[in-house]
Amino acid sequence: MTREEVLNGIRTRFAEGILDYYDKSAKRVYIEIEPGSLVAVAGHLFGELGARFHIASGVDTRFHLEVLYHFSVEALNLLISLRVKLDKHTPRVPSLAPLSKATAWIEREIHELLGIDFAGHPDLRRLLLSEEWPEGVYPLRRDYQEWDPKAIRDRGV
Amino acid sequence: MSVTMRALLKSPWVFHLSTGSCNNCDIEVLDCLTPRFDIERFGMRLAASIRHADVLLVTGSCNRKSMVRVKRIFEEQVPKPCVVVAIGECSMSRGMFIHSYNCPRPLDSIIPVNVYIPGCPPKPEAIIGGVVKLIKKVKASL
Repeated sequence: MTREEVLNGIRTRFAEGILDYYDKSAKRVYIEIEPGSLVAVAGHLFGELGARFHIASGVDTRFHLEVLYHFSVEALNLLISLRVKLDKHTPRVPSLAPLSKATAWIEREIHELLGIDFAGHPDLRRLLLSEEWPEGVYPLRRDYQEWDPKAIRDRGV
Repeated sequence: MSVTMRALLKSPWVFHLSTGSCNNCDIEVLDCLTPRFDIERFGMRLAASIRHADVLLVTGSCNRKSMVRVKRIFEEQVPKPCVVVAIGECSMSRGMFIHSYNCPRPLDSIIPVNVYIPGCPPKPEAIIGGVVKLIKKVKASL
């Protein structure tokens, strides 16, 4: 299969779920999809195309919380990033962990650092933050405020 | 001077404790031990276990999780007398991580620090110089 066949196949098959499509370069494509069709598109990439799941990244932008799932189709030397934009007040996205175990830990990390709720995740415990960290405080959010009164933030000089 | 202190200063066994560093200071500590700088000729040896250590070489900006462990190591596990050397900018003031959500406090507010070796990373010569200064300081205080 060529690059065009793969990409046109995704675009026609999931036409109603794809909100935006950005062909950045010969090696890189961003596809913005609505949260409801994430599992279907990722399942198509992961299952039928045999793409490799690399990593997911979470971003807090000015208007949305975004999750990007990066897949690569190695036969084509192509990196496909699925972008999901979420509402800041109720960030909720279906989890890919039932589909592939490799996504489980990165979803846990995004959950604790950005507060995104991954619906259907089998084990959404904390991954990295310490036990004393308060519930509902997400350090990588734009509106994060210092919560620890014991923190020292000057160099003492 | 007691026998313990004499033995400690004659041949201080160092333990290398990384509290979440970028590994650059750890590489420089390693350089001190390899033949080019070879701190064993000053009697310093790398201790394999914290329970054999006389000197703690601490690198890295303490984060919320390692803070608890550093405190426990210093208070409960390392035999006394023990002196602490903070190596690198991170363990002194946390360097560029000073505003990080995960690095709330500098090392010297968690455990007492005897000698600071600045640098990012400090050169092996600086580390050796720091430990020599430490020995002089401890000798003078006795």
